[in-house]
Amino acid sequence: MEITLTHYLVLSTILFAIGLVGIMRRKNLLMLFFATEILLNATNIGFAAISHYLGDLSGQMFAFFIIAIAASEVAIGLGLLIVWYKRTGKIDLDLMTSMRG
Amino acid sequence: MLDHILSILIFFPALAAMLGFVVAKDSIRAYGITVAAIEFVLSLWLWYAYDPMSSGMQFMESAPLIPAFGINYLLGIDGISLFIVILSTFFTLIGIASLTETRRVKDMIITLLFLEMTMVGVFAALDAIVFYVFWELSLVPMLYIIGAWGGPLRIYASVKFFLYTFTGSLVMLVGMLFMAYFYYQATGMWSFSILEWYRLILPENFQLWLFAAFFLGFAIKVPMFPFHTWLPYAHGQAPTIGSVILAAILLKMGTYAFVRFSLPLFPDASVFFMFPIAAIAIIMIIYTAMVAYAQEDIKQVVAYSSVSHMGVIILGTFALNVEGVSGSVFLMLAHGVVSGALFLLVGVIYDRRHTKLMSEFGGLASVMPRYATIFGIMMMASVGLPLTINFVGEFLSLLGFYKQSHTYTLIAGTAIIVGAIYMLAAYKKMFFGNVTNEENKKLKDVNKTELIGLVPLVILAIWLGVYPKPVLEPINNSVESVIQLMHDKAQSSEAKARIPNLSDAGAMKLHQEAH
Amino acid sequence: MELYLYIALFAPLVGSLYAALFGASPKSYHTGLIASGLLFTSLVSSAILLSYVMGGHTVHVELMTWMATGDLYIPFGFVVDQVSVVMMMVVTIVSTVVHVYSIGYMDHDKGFNRFFSYLSAFVFSMMVLVMSDNFAGLFIGWEGVGLCSWLLIGFWYHKESATWAANEAFIMNRIADLGMLIGIFLVYWNIGSLQYDVVFAEIHNLDQKVITWIGIFLFIGAMGKSAQFPLHPWLADAMEGPTPVSALIHAATMVTAGVYLVIRANPIYSEIPDVGYFIASLGAFVAMFAATMALVNRDMKRIIAYSTLSQLGYMFVAAGLGAYWVALFHLMAHAFFKALLFLGAGNVMHAMSDELDPVKMGGLYKVMKGTAILMILASVALAGIWPFAGFFSKDKILEVAFSSEHYILWGTLWITAGLTAFYSFRLIMLAFFGEERYKQYGFHPHEAYRFMLVVMSPLALLAVIAGWFEHDFVRLVTTLLPGFEFHTHHVELMLIGVTSLIAVGGIVTAILMYRNGPLSTKWEEHFCYKVLINQYYIPKLYNEIFTKPYGALSRFAWKEIDIRIVDATVDMIANAIYKTGENTRDIQNGNLSTMLRWMVIGLVVLLALAVAFTVGYNAIGA
Repeated sequence: MEITLTHYLVLSTILFAIGLVGIMRRKNLLMLFFATEILLNATNIGFAAISHYLGDLSGQMFAFFIIAIAASEVAIGLGLLIVWYKRTGKIDLDLMTSMRG
Repeated sequence: MLDHILSILIFFPALAAMLGFVVAKDSIRAYGITVAAIEFVLSLWLWYAYDPMSSGMQFMESAPLIPAFGINYLLGIDGISLFIVILSTFFTLIGIASLTETRRVKDMIITLLFLEMTMVGVFAALDAIVFYVFWELSLVPMLYIIGAWGGPLRIYASVKFFLYTFTGSLVMLVGMLFMAYFYYQATGMWSFSILEWYRLILPENFQLWLFAAFFLGFAIKVPMFPFHTWLPYAHGQAPTIGSVILAAILLKMGTYAFVRFSLPLFPDASVFFMFPIAAIAIIMIIYTAMVAYAQEDIKQVVAYSSVSHMGVIILGTFALNVEGVSGSVFLMLAHGVVSGALFLLVGVIYDRRHTKLMSEFGGLASVMPRYATIFGIMMMASVGLPLTINFVGEFLSLLGFYKQSHTYTLIAGTAIIVGAIYMLAAYKKMFFGNVTNEENKKLKDVNKTELIGLVPLVILAIWLGVYPKPVLEPINNSVESVIQLMHDKAQSSEAKARIPNLSDAGAMKLHQEAH
Repeated sequence: MELYLYIALFAPLVGSLYAALFGASPKSYHTGLIASGLLFTSLVSSAILLSYVMGGHTVHVELMTWMATGDLYIPFGFVVDQVSVVMMMVVTIVSTVVHVYSIGYMDHDKGFNRFFSYLSAFVFSMMVLVMSDNFAGLFIGWEGVGLCSWLLIGFWYHKESATWAANEAFIMNRIADLGMLIGIFLVYWNIGSLQYDVVFAEIHNLDQKVITWIGIFLFIGAMGKSAQFPLHPWLADAMEGPTPVSALIHAATMVTAGVYLVIRANPIYSEIPDVGYFIASLGAFVAMFAATMALVNRDMKRIIAYSTLSQLGYMFVAAGLGAYWVALFHLMAHAFFKALLFLGAGNVMHAMSDELDPVKMGGLYKVMKGTAILMILASVALAGIWPFAGFFSKDKILEVAFSSEHYILWGTLWITAGLTAFYSFRLIMLAFFGEERYKQYGFHPHEAYRFMLVVMSPLALLAVIAGWFEHDFVRLVTTLLPGFEFHTHHVELMLIGVTSLIAVGGIVTAILMYRNGPLSTKWEEHFCYKVLINQYYIPKLYNEIFTKPYGALSRFAWKEIDIRIVDATVDMIANAIYKTGENTRDIQNGNLSTMLRWMVIGLVVLLALAVAFTVGYNAIGA
């Protein structure tokens, strides 16, 4: 069986769905980061696959960008998370409601 | 200095208000009076320098603001706006001079000076965006005056006032933007100058939509039925000075804008909407007069009477002939003077008794004879007795509309009846009869501070009723050019017929003289 | 002559302003004296103008521009011609007398100075009314007298009935003024000017229908001022004012303004005989209608007021039938004897401590001889007995009706003449003769100041002799007014005889019926009496169908429509927006996972929309 573009895209969609569900369901901030990473990587797969399919490198370029941004985001995000944990001792999302409208 | 007199008139009070923050509390009153007096003298100078024979814009100033979109700082004055500007400076002076407020006087005076800037700005602006900016800015000081010095319901009243008028203005802004876009499409250039817009002939269906958009903004400001309900709350809660300025000047912005924007920009739409608007005006006249008659609070009587009189102004404006429009512009001034004075008078009694309920009074004529006399004169002016200022405007407005419709004018003419009913009834309740309430027996008559405000208004109300010519003539000349412009721009045959052609009449006169 | 014109016009204003300066201060005689003196000056100037006008000249001046806009041009212009000079004479004579009389009458009143200020202001307004050379100026005077009437009816403002009557008078007049205003508008838009000379020269060029409307609307204005049915109730209520006011305003001058208007606008009414006939019919109806109410009334001043109303009806008959000079003649004669009658009534009121019911008087002749004689003179003149003024003028009106072959009008007026004589002498008999009933009620009547009687005597003289100058009068005014062709020479003497007969009959009946005092009270149970004493229930009816519903409707408009509907709608919109915000604030609950969930939902919705629009757009494009 040959692995075609469709397979990559299906994989990307599945990953994206997993990430989405993770974002919506998880209450742990750390898990939320994992879910976000999954989302980003799902798009990365899409980018890389379509880039290869079209023979255009700009898709893969975007994928690298995203990886870089995701890394920096995680770095800042985890930093904030640690500060938060030090202050409150918890990383439960439901308790973070100081922006309540 | 005359080249920039309008800018000076607009920004002098604002700068003075800024400086006012550093003036000592004790001398703020004198400071405020001085600033307002200088401003008033400047506006009189403006009148002196104004050429009454010329009908066009005078003292024009122009400076680019956002040239890419044709937004300019464009000012100018003609006979229509000249006197409203003077009225604004006059009322600010009177308001500050006869201020009886004791709480936070400094804040009040600074607010009033800011308000003066916005008022003069609205009437002097010839660029739609500049106009809009001042139009909206005028809400802020008034919001503050009602909200900070008002009665128990002041927050509700001030928020209602602000949001209601603001909503209307936003629709108007959309209209303005579209107007400018249309200008861009027609000429390939952006312009927000009203004078440029005047030259544009719009297709009739565009006129209808744009007229409606502008109408909403103006109608809420006027306020026209059924958008009038913010007014009784605002007046009911506002301190005396707030009511005076609101009734005398701020309401005039709406009717002024009709004359400045709606008529010359959309002549066909004006004719199209003439009768529906006249019907609204008639409802305003009769219905609010009845509501005024039912009131128990003297201030509400005056507030509703304002709406009723604004109905006559609207009717005169939409007569679309020189008699009617001149009359309505004159009536704007007249109503400013009279309603301003009436609110001041209500303030006098409120300061003494801290109630405005008419049932609390009765027989005041014997306790406060001078007060009763001034109130009586102003009431008669409000009722529209000949040789008072209101009559000239009311007479001309109704006379003008009579050309358009007999029946409508006949119904609208009941203004002189229903007006007499609520005013006389209120006067009777307040001043006639025996003094039944113990508290009223030792009321003091009007004092000097109050007379400073009231006497000039009484003089004005009679002087301009007997000899309106110095004011009416410049108004007439400018209105004639507006009407002629409308006639020339009108496209539908009905509009051509409804709006008189003055150059024809002029030509005919010349023709007759030649023979 | 212009100088005299200005003196005649502005002297009362000066007097008024002078008295106003002392308005709030306690009584000082000089205000009354100066106001009266200035009025006398005005009278003298008017007399000089009269002699000048009799020489065949007129004076026409333009003081300054009042309103000018568009094609409209209204100046303050004044004209002294044959008609206005007659009115000026009437106004100044009566008002001078009333002013001097008031010095005595208002002697004990706190508002002495204020009274003179108002009274002189009234005279000024009245002079503007009669002297103006255009309709707008007329309207100034018209409203001015209305204002002064309001001030003077409500002069004793602590009395509820007085202030109520003042407001009623003002508002009823306002209703009529609207008609007048519309008439003025019609004139302007059809002729382009409001100047009398222009209007009257052009009027015949107009369409008959337009002239008819102009005539009708102007007459509506006249109906208000002259208190014609159905706008009449205010006049009787206006008797709440001080009696000199009733004499001057509500008998001699202001109420005749309506008649003056019709006379002045004679070129208009000559074009529309149908409207004229309507005016005449209404006049005849009012003449009779008012006379019947006067028959039974028990308020001295009201009786005289109804009599005034009735006489105004007579004047309108003459004016409506085109006999304008006759109307003016009766207006003048009536002013003299009716003012005299009121001033006499004022004396009686003073004597009786403001008691007005003649039934409680009786036999006053003995204590008030002077007043009694003056009032009898006036009543005889009113009844129209030869050779008194009323005879000449009223008889002419009957002749006009007969000559125009309107026999029903003539018959009505003829009967009314009898009623007039009857009620006048009923009043005289009850008040001055018979048993001295006032003693039972504990009154101590006394005669008025001598100077008050002296000052009334010129009026008495005029009430007697005014009719003798009929021919001079006719010669004077018919240079301006159209003459009237009488076709009654063959029956003239018979008509005079018949009319005099019924007048004498009325007097004799009254004397016989009331020689022993009032009738028995049994009569008061009678249906006719009840109808008449209640003024045909018209005031009650007006109260039920106008006043009360207006009040109720106003309250309904405020409480139900304005608050419950209009304002509630606005608040509802505001509340809807507010509630939406309130209900959706959960979105912003600060919980990251909820917010993320909303984000996802939003994303899905937007995607769906994008897809839908693309598909839709392509479908249309295809």
